[in-house]
Amino acid sequence: MDFFERQEKAHHNTKLLVAYFVTGVALLTVAVYLASLLIFAGVASRHPRYHDDDGQAQAGLWNPQLFFGVLVGTLAVITLGSVSKTAELARGGSAVAEMLGGRLVNSNTTDPDERRLMNVIEEMALASGVPVPHVYVLDNERGINAFAAGHSTSDAVVTVTHGCLKLLTRDELQGVIGHEFSHILNGDMRLNLRLMGVIFGILCLAVVGRILLQMRGGRDRNALPLLGLVLLALGWIGVVFGRLIQAAVSRQREFLADASSVQFTRNPAGLSGALQKIGGLSYGSKLAAAHADEASHMFFSNGVGRSLFGLMDTHPPLEERIRAIDPAFNGKFPRVSVADGGAGLPAGQDAPQLDPAGSGGASLAGLAPPVIASQSVLPNLDNATTAHLHFAAALRASFPPAIQNAARDPLGASSLIYGMLLSLEPEQRNKQLQLLSQAASDDIRRETERLLPDVESIAANAKLPLVDLALPALRHFSPAQYRQFSRAIQTLIESDGKIDLHEYVLQKIVLRHLDPQFNGARKPVIQYYAIRPLVPDCAVLLSALAHAGADDAARAEAAFLQGARQLGCNAGAELAFLHSDQCDLPQVDAALNRLCQAAPQIKKSLLGACALTVAANGVIQETEAELLRAIADTLDCPMPPFLQSDEEPAAAGV
Amino acid sequence: MMGLGLGLMVLLIVLIVLFFVLIFMVSAYNRLVSLRNRYKNAYSQIDVQLKRRYDLIPNLVETAKGYIKHERETLEAVTQARNVAYAASQTAAANPGDPNAVKSLVSAESGLAGALSRLMVVSERYPDLKANQNMMQLSEELTSTENKISFSRQAYNDSVMVYNTQREVFPSNLIAGAFNFGAAESFIIDKPEQKDAPKVSFS
Repeated sequence: MDFFERQEKAHHNTKLLVAYFVTGVALLTVAVYLASLLIFAGVASRHPRYHDDDGQAQAGLWNPQLFFGVLVGTLAVITLGSVSKTAELARGGSAVAEMLGGRLVNSNTTDPDERRLMNVIEEMALASGVPVPHVYVLDNERGINAFAAGHSTSDAVVTVTHGCLKLLTRDELQGVIGHEFSHILNGDMRLNLRLMGVIFGILCLAVVGRILLQMRGGRDRNALPLLGLVLLALGWIGVVFGRLIQAAVSRQREFLADASSVQFTRNPAGLSGALQKIGGLSYGSKLAAAHADEASHMFFSNGVGRSLFGLMDTHPPLEERIRAIDPAFNGKFPRVSVADGGAGLPAGQDAPQLDPAGSGGASLAGLAPPVIASQSVLPNLDNATTAHLHFAAALRASFPPAIQNAARDPLGASSLIYGMLLSLEPEQRNKQLQLLSQAASDDIRRETERLLPDVESIAANAKLPLVDLALPALRHFSPAQYRQFSRAIQTLIESDGKIDLHEYVLQKIVLRHLDPQFNGARKPVIQYYAIRPLVPDCAVLLSALAHAGADDAARAEAAFLQGARQLGCNAGAELAFLHSDQCDLPQVDAALNRLCQAAPQIKKSLLGACALTVAANGVIQETEAELLRAIADTLDCPMPPFLQSDEEPAAAGV
Repeated sequence: MMGLGLGLMVLLIVLIVLFFVLIFMVSAYNRLVSLRNRYKNAYSQIDVQLKRRYDLIPNLVETAKGYIKHERETLEAVTQARNVAYAASQTAAANPGDPNAVKSLVSAESGLAGALSRLMVVSERYPDLKANQNMMQLSEELTSTENKISFSRQAYNDSVMVYNTQREVFPSNLIAGAFNFGAAESFIIDKPEQKDAPKVSFS
């Protein structure tokens, strides 16, 4: 299953979730109504006031007023609960991590275990083409567990327990992180957060019940606490339904995530080892945090214990998961004691255990010419592979230490970005540095100048991965600092009066990932389910790509036609090749902004068409690669870095 | 029948109002917690750079020692100030935002900055030292680290301000009071050049 199919599946699962939820709410309402009937029938039979003219007590199953009242009350409670929880979670993945007691790991950490964790995560992020997520550790959790949370790759957060940090080897850690990245890339995270908000609404009834139990009513002295008790009991019905929903949605996904992780790392022993350690550890993967229930569907392994007959388990049994990826498993778990700190390494020894593929550890400037064979494009749009992982490890190691240090600190990271926007031509550059002093500060300018020689030595195709590495540090800006940063970038770009492709791509990617945090999250609303209304935009995009890759109009047109054929049957005759001044950057930008509201299947065929256009003349120019990367990023489709044509996956030292 | 209906309506309204209040309280509490976490995380950005600085300074002192043998007091003052600041930073890191811890750190940092700038003034008189490769690299890194500290301080102070404001506005201040959300202290250092030595440009 490819990325887009998985997104569609996640979308479908949402509908299933809604169906379950509506059923649950309906049943709850009926149950509350029946309970209220019983209570008030009991009340009515004792209070003469409630008897009607014949002196008979109020009876009968159907009381429209009561039913309406119950319906409104129940819906109000559930809606308010869900809405408030969802609002709280709108802050992003970090809300979940903090709710469970997570501590943010500093990217500059010197603690060897944390450093190792960060290295694994950075490599995996670079290999998948997503910004490096923020990393949290649950210090109080001795079990082995992890989760990824967030609305999108822009605010994704990966959390591991203390047990994970101390008890797993690097390979096993990589297996677990690979599993979590699979959730990030599948679009599972958003569904998970929505699920959390919704389940909290059902749990609210239990809370209200508890409060009512403590209230002293007036005339209905007997009724109120009784109602409270009933609501409490009914609230727990809500919990059961919540668990059922969580289980239904998350169970089969865990097998999928395990498989993706193995595909990524080509190392089933790692993931299998981690699962076996969970089986052998007395704490297992249990989480002690009070809020673990709400998020249990997001964890790597079962964090809340087995339920009755395993019906409401959010995860498949450990043995099944291990056998699925490692058929040789003999069913016996190794004994793991918490004192086994042997997985930790002293500082400085964390060399990537993967062999940098074929081309070796040579300077990356030599590794990556700007021209890449086109066969490597199409597979890129799907999962990253082991070859990408090797490439990412080598790439990360090849960055000079000054760059690596800078990328992990807010000031340094912003200086790197400024440095990448500076012109190569000395006079223009001085002018830009002047403007930078004014827009930001002298200190920032000095830091930028200090890093400039290293920035210039970075290979062209390593620049965007460097941005991925630097993004988590940029998220540490205060709002005022962010405003200054985006203004400074704009000033630097405008300084020469025109915007070139490189500047456009850099600005687009950086701001796209930072904006949601500082200016409110964008709501990903799908507005276009058919490609017809978007055909002019597709034309702009494909034409721009065609022109970026060819010197003359004829070749560009040929490339365009290759891509257009992919969209062909539904697009019709309106998909016309445009002249280069009709598809300049502002128009590309406008087209992209509309296209990101398209349904996943449309995005899929569009990206396929783009890939064909780019591949049409047999080689991929750097300009094409950059533009394609910006397009993929805007459409929310992480694109792994391009590999050299002779780095076939088979040769990458499996 | 009407009586039953009216009583029910009243009950429902009471319930819904109560629920609103509950939701508000929980939201306000969660918001305060999240803002508190934010400034604590912002503090850890400063802390990492502070530690880096404290690690650089002994190297600096060692390098300088070989050249300025007769300025022992200056060197010792730097080492002393560095140790005091290091200890203060440990306390502050354990309680970010705690007013006392931050105030001691601020004063320790001022002391350190003063001692360092006196050292720089003294080094001016020893051209050999100034030209030493190691010294140049160390002071370069020191400057860079100080820039980073300054930048992170800015972010920290911004987040402290947001947190303190939220603590004080109505109606969150009720929750803040009830659940002991203490005020956080900003991290503001006076520039040593304005206090002690004349402005030294070392670049």
